[in-house]
Amino acid sequence: MADLFDKTTRALGASVNLRQTRNNVISSNIANAETPGYQAKKMDFENALSRALDFEDMGNLEGSKPEHYPTGPGALSRVRADIYENPDVSVNNDGNTVDVEREMTALAENSIMYKAAIQLINKKMAALKYAATDGGR
Amino acid sequence: MDILTGMRVSSSGMAAQRMRLNTIASNIANVNTTRTPEGGPYRRKDVVFEAMPEAKSFGEILINQPQKDVARVQVTDVAVDRKAPLMKYEPDHPDADENGYVAYPNINMMEEMANMIQATRAYEANVSAMNATKDMAMTSLELGR
Repeated sequence: MADLFDKTTRALGASVNLRQTRNNVISSNIANAETPGYQAKKMDFENALSRALDFEDMGNLEGSKPEHYPTGPGALSRVRADIYENPDVSVNNDGNTVDVEREMTALAENSIMYKAAIQLINKKMAALKYAATDGGR
Repeated sequence: MDILTGMRVSSSGMAAQRMRLNTIASNIANVNTTRTPEGGPYRRKDVVFEAMPEAKSFGEILINQPQKDVARVQVTDVAVDRKAPLMKYEPDHPDADENGYVAYPNINMMEEMANMIQATRAYEANVSAMNATKDMAMTSLELGR
């Protein structure tokens, strides 16, 4: 069965979704930059997303745990982000590990990549629209 | 967890830093206050921040695991400094004790100023995060245009 949206669009959609979550994680780190004992969180999804791109063409393997890699059709929409306490930090006097400069950089980078993904989806949509309207007529 | 979660988290950070700025302002304003409703000189106040897992409602907590990775910040307590007051020899002061000493608040102006700058910067960082989130939400409205 051919989908209306191709694999690239679906991958972009998954990445937009995951970047929203990453934005929330970074916002949480910034809000708690002065909270004693707060551990900065880090979120990884790039590896999981590229793995899901490969696994989507496979047959659907039933996983018994949510941690198992998603396979088969729809694997992209089931990619799980890995959120963990950032080990690569220095600890403050009060046990806080948030580095505001690093978080602001990550925030800006995430925002730019989010917008890039949205723009790419829009280009894909424009191509679809062009075809659907018989070459813009 | 939607994109507005990020905005709620950032606004909690802004509210907490504003609360902190208020206590710092109160400390600076009362640097020479010798009378308070509870008696004695003014005592320095300090806010206590606590990270709270962000969950929208009780129902969400029942269905999902609470999102412990995304935490808003909350002022759980305003701690009162227990340092001994500064004693100054001012026999003519109406609040002087029998030896002529007046108890003044033990507030270090430099410390308060440094805290104030720190709170302002933290507030600005939260504003930037909120703007980035808002930007993303507005960009997603452009989808399909």
